[in-house]
Amino acid sequence: MVGLADLSLVEAADAVRNGEATSMELLDACWANLDAANPELNATIWLDREGAEQAARAADRAVKEQAWLGPLHGVPLAHKDMYYQAGRLCTCGSALRKDWRPGVTATVIEKLHAAGAYAFGGLNMAEFAQNPTGHNRAFGDCHNPWNPPYITGGSSSGSGASVAARFNYAALGSDTGGSIRLPAAACGVTGIKPTQTRVSRFGVMPLSFSADNVGPLARTARDCARIMTLIAGHDPRDPTSSHEPVPDYEATLDGDVRGLRIGVPSTWFLDEVDAPVLDALEHALAVLVARGATVHRIALPMMDAVTTYGSIISRVEAATIHAQWMRERAGEYGIHISGRMYGGYAIPAAYYVEALARRGPVLRAFANEVFAKVDVLATPTIRTCLPTLADTDIDHGPPGTETKFMAVSANTRPFNYLGLPAVSVNCGFDPSGLPIGLQIAARPFAEARVLKVADAYQRDTEFHMRRPPVLDAADAPGVIVA
Amino acid sequence: MDPFEAEVEATIARWHGIVAPNDPARRMAADLISTIRAFEALRGTLVFEDEPASFEAALHDTKE
Repeated sequence: MVGLADLSLVEAADAVRNGEATSMELLDACWANLDAANPELNATIWLDREGAEQAARAADRAVKEQAWLGPLHGVPLAHKDMYYQAGRLCTCGSALRKDWRPGVTATVIEKLHAAGAYAFGGLNMAEFAQNPTGHNRAFGDCHNPWNPPYITGGSSSGSGASVAARFNYAALGSDTGGSIRLPAAACGVTGIKPTQTRVSRFGVMPLSFSADNVGPLARTARDCARIMTLIAGHDPRDPTSSHEPVPDYEATLDGDVRGLRIGVPSTWFLDEVDAPVLDALEHALAVLVARGATVHRIALPMMDAVTTYGSIISRVEAATIHAQWMRERAGEYGIHISGRMYGGYAIPAAYYVEALARRGPVLRAFANEVFAKVDVLATPTIRTCLPTLADTDIDHGPPGTETKFMAVSANTRPFNYLGLPAVSVNCGFDPSGLPIGLQIAARPFAEARVLKVADAYQRDTEFHMRRPPVLDAADAPGVIVA
Repeated sequence: MDPFEAEVEATIARWHGIVAPNDPARRMAADLISTIRAFEALRGTLVFEDEPASFEAALHDTKE
């Protein structure tokens, strides 16, 4: 027996289409879990209950008239609060934009709404998408639904927490150094960072022109595939977006990973890995081997270049676009936000250009060597068991806290510099009851492949279906679906 | 103050008109010494013809 809020995105959309639930019933189920869990989680920045209920009623009227908008008809969603919706609040997680209302709507939001979804609020996030933990001075830290003193991962903290706590069927996040995959891993949901240029960034708050990516967090790989099919593709309003054709990602999910060569890096990604994380990785590999995949332990080339150059680009670009506020209003940022950006102003332009100029050659060398041997790479999304918010709180912690803070994103950042697609799925739990993430990466534009592997894994496991304890007291109403 | 830290702060102030907003900013800026060492280790790898636009071509050339 499953309540409406426990449905996946795809199941919820199908329930509306099949007449098994109304959009208003889905929304009510989300509200019930939100009201029960969110006071502890702080996963939202703003809510538009009235607007959402109007949208739900309109969706239900359309159903009666058989006027289907698309594959997300009647599904309530909420997104990281950095996706512009004309006339609606968009704080970017910062006091500096606490009252800001953009004049344009992001292309990805338009696409989701054209498919029948509607947005009911703005989700908590790291200030200006600039931390891997979920700390936020302006709107309060976001808390992990599995164990609230622990980090949610960031920067799409509310996206991960709201989906895990089942008051949101899916959320857009953004990923410049891991900000989709980290909260997906820490909150026990599924999230994909697409290939650089795969999804339009028009109307999305910038952090780093070269490394920003838009992508979904949802309960399942199939959910992510449905959203990716809708949002990927060239956008004339984002000239950097790729013209590469977009497949129907959902249609490629057949569970068949026979002959798939999985590479497990012996360099970088398993350095100082915690034992429960390594155990979960090995168990996950065994699941895929049982489906016919093979595992290959390989050394990765160019990792010094990848990590050195990758750390430069986003740091310089973020510092550049925030320069005026850093001159005039630095005290309004969280300490760790202004603190991290500050050093970016001292990085020489020649270093920055070298990092950009080497990106293509490094990708070629990496891809040609690695993907001649294996089809995908499998790593822990986060090397360690999750730290607490207190352990990674630079604003209030002792010197040295920065090291723990930066360690969270060590395994995700390399794929941003390389521009590769990477998905994170829940592959178990640590001794504190917190999720562990499995990261799967592949060649450029191989979103279908990483989603297929993630979906195959989820066919044989149930980690992604578990309910976090924060919902134990919740009694979500709604139609019960067998 | 460590001479390197002082140099970094003076450079940022002169070139950008930005002062260190807090102690973590000073600590993280001081850690730029590790960035310099990492770049030193990579010296000689940049090729004369390398340029930023090659990345998009590489994405397409290395796809499936």
